[in-house]
This record gives sequence, structure tokens and C-alpha cells, in this order.
Amino acid sequence: MRQYAIEASGGCQCGAVRYHTTAAMDNAHICHCRMCQKAVGNFFAALVGVPKDALTWTRGEPATFRSSANVERGFCARCGTPLFYNDVTSKRIALTIGSFDNPELFPPQAQDGIEGRLPFFDSLHEIETETTTEQESEAWAAAIKASSNQHPDRDTAAWPPQGGHHA
Amino acid sequence: MPDVRITGGCQCGAVRYAMHTPPTDCLICYCRMCQKQFGNIFGAFAAVERKDFEITRGKLGRWKSSDIGVRTFCADCGTPMGWDSLDPSRTNTWVSLGSLDNVEAVRPLAQWGGEARPSWVDEVIAMPVGITGGGDAAGYRDADRIHPRTHPDHDTEYWPPK
Repeated sequence: MRQYAIEASGGCQCGAVRYHTTAAMDNAHICHCRMCQKAVGNFFAALVGVPKDALTWTRGEPATFRSSANVERGFCARCGTPLFYNDVTSKRIALTIGSFDNPELFPPQAQDGIEGRLPFFDSLHEIETETTTEQESEAWAAAIKASSNQHPDRDTAAWPPQGGHHA
Repeated sequence: MPDVRITGGCQCGAVRYAMHTPPTDCLICYCRMCQKQFGNIFGAFAAVERKDFEITRGKLGRWKSSDIGVRTFCADCGTPMGWDSLDPSRTNTWVSLGSLDNVEAVRPLAQWGGEARPSWVDEVIAMPVGITGGGDAAGYRDADRIHPRTHPDHDTEYWPPK
């Protein structure tokens, strides 16, 4: 496993918790194990390690749930976004790839936890309907966009913006 | 009403639910808002009629992601629990698939949010898969197996165990 320099920020959906890292590990992966499934309410967790000494919490503080003796799962207490898997004995912490401002930066290189992998997972990409949100329902998508409370995919000086939530 | 009981809940067990009819729809969504809710590549949801969805323990955390809907989660452990419309005339609500006790019970039938689908998804799906405890390729796999506090995948009379 190799460490490399990168400048990358991320945070939760509502923007109450934000982070920035100056390095990452080349271990981006997805984990299908049942504990990761539950932590992220999904078929798998998508995670990438960063050295703890390269990570700064730039706004707010994550809440944690101690999922086992040495591991805590981090999340935003206000909006719920899963933020990390932290083995407290390790010098690295694994951040959720979807919480980064640009998840495309971290293509997973491995899959773990085959015992929890769903039998239909390898045919997921064959599901035909693959439309954009706008194509699926134009008016609905426009209404969501016009009133979205989601933090933008970049660092912000203040959040929520003065005079309204909508960015 | 058929005797259906499909159960689920969050990781820590503070919030538990039951569906009393099978889901009417099931999908994964790559849109950026679902990605953020789940901290993941996509969100995964099943639709169930509101009248057939019962919270059997605790209370859902709710965050209004837009004027259209609310993202639900466990405020104690963070597990994303679903999406709920703010339109009272809608008859259904959406539940996160990973929170089901039997995740295999429901299979996605559609993909939404193609505009934010990462370019490498197909490659990731095709990658070889390791087993928990089988090695240390990612460097994390086994640490979370010591005295786990995850709620079991079935209803419990009380939780956590005394």
C-alpha cells in the first residue's frame, strides 16, 4: 500500500461537517461485509484510506458509533451522511468515497467481504434504465435543484449561506 | 392483508422498522444527492406504502434535503434509512436497502441518476472479491470483528443486550 500526495476536500450532505486531506493511500476499495452494509445502509461501503496526520476537520465534528472494540463509524449527526471507518489503533482512517467533493478521484481497486456480497451485484450494471435525473422527471428534478439544501461540492467560507439555504 | 413482515433497522439497533406488504419498487440512484446521503457511489432504495410501514423501535432522524423530500437516518449511529416525500398526498415512502435484515429480499429493478454515475462503476463490479478475514489487501478488513455491536439481522425484544 502506497501513500501519495493529493489535495481533496469533502463532507456531509448538509455541510455541517467538512474535511480536507493532503494525502491518500492507493487502497480505494468497496467492502460488502454486513457491518459496512449496515453502516452505510447500502450493498457495500466505498472507502479510501488517508493518513490521520494528513486529515483536517475544517468544519464541525463528526459523530461516531463504536461498531466494535477498536472501530468507530463516523457520520454527521445533523444529516446522517456516513463519513468514515476508523480503526482507532491504526495510523490511517478510511473515508467514504461518496462524501468527497469529487468521488471520481478514487476509483476502487479491490472488493472485500465476499461473504456479504449480494448475488445480483455483478449484474447491477446490466439494469437497463439508466437515465439522468432530469430525463426521468424534469419538473421534479428542477424543483429539487431549486430548493436543494445540499452543500456544494467545494469548500465554502460559511454555510449555510446568509439569507437562505440554497446555493 | 397478507401476513408479510419484512424487517430492518440501523447498525446500532436504536431504530427498527417493519414492512407489512412487499415493496412496490426498488432502485439504485447515482444522483449526487443520493451519493452524499449514503457517502457512496449510489443510494439504494425500496418503496413501500406508508400505511404498511411501521417504525417498531426508536425514531428516524430527518434532514430536509430540499423542498421535495427528507433524508432519514439513525441519529445514534448514522445509518442512512431512506427518503420520504414532503408531499402528504404521496402514498409511499422509501427505505434504504442496506438497512433490511435480509438485503437479498429485494432486488433493484432500475438505475437512476446517470448524470453522476462514476466512469469506473462497470470496472469495479467486475473486480475479484476478497473474503473478510482472508487477507489484508485493503488494510482494514478484520479490525471490526472484535466484539461487534451491530444489531443482529432480526427483531430483538430489547437492545443492547443487558
